[in-house]
Amino acid sequence: MTESPLDTLLPRLQQGDRTAFTQVVQVLHNNMLAIARSMIGNGEAEEAVQDAWISVFQNVNKFEGRSTLKTWVTRIVINECKMRLRRSGREINLDINSEEQDALTQRFRENGHWHQPPVAWDFHTPEQLLEEQDLRECMEKNMARMTPQQRLLIELRDLQGLPFDDICNMLDISASNARVLLHRARATLFTVVEHYQETGEC
Amino acid sequence: MLKCRDIPSEAEKLLAGELPFGERVSVRMHLFICHNCRRYVRQLKVLLGALNQFDNSENHRKVSQSEAEAIVQRATDNVGPPQQPLN
Repeated sequence: MTESPLDTLLPRLQQGDRTAFTQVVQVLHNNMLAIARSMIGNGEAEEAVQDAWISVFQNVNKFEGRSTLKTWVTRIVINECKMRLRRSGREINLDINSEEQDALTQRFRENGHWHQPPVAWDFHTPEQLLEEQDLRECMEKNMARMTPQQRLLIELRDLQGLPFDDICNMLDISASNARVLLHRARATLFTVVEHYQETGEC
Repeated sequence: MLKCRDIPSEAEKLLAGELPFGERVSVRMHLFICHNCRRYVRQLKVLLGALNQFDNSENHRKVSQSEAEAIVQRATDNVGPPQQPLN
């Protein structure tokens, strides 16, 4: 567990310090909204996260610090979303569609070698890649188009950097299914960057 | 023997430190002889690093202090202060 600056606010949160609570909301609210949107859609996400904050505020004294604060809050948001899905007879389907291929599958020959190998990128560091505003927007657009499952996994693991085991646990998904979903999402983004590299377009 | 086809998913496990010793050696050996896969892994690292720093994008921007205060206000209206810990 890597402690973040947020975790140092815990003692103050547990004393009911509103300023500390406001700081936590400032940092985490939009991240939590993104998770809720992947799970239950735009319409209900705001309300679900607002309700999750009530739980956070009421239960922060029971939090023993066995995970980071961010993981704990995320768990509450996910549970709130699951409850809403259950109430309305929906569920988030985290099963793997084995028919579906990832974006790289077609690029290998029958014998397992590259048929269409990766082209070299001009971006040699994450910073260089992020400087390309059009590419960022293109990646965001493509993430929004992913299946909700892939979107959720990439949000939790790659954008928010939560520990893999915590994610599997919170979502009640097997490690192998989680890896497949993540891999499909990453393979898509890899080809998005590559296409941009080759054409300069999204 | 690992094929190029196996590398994209194996590389993710490698970068996450999830591969046992034997498999790690197999991946490394493949990368040693295959420049296409080396390029794939190098670029995958760049991609994952970028995603990790995506936080400043619109979707993840910090909410303003006044907006956060309003959220806290709504969350604490009528619910009282946090419950005291049990002794």
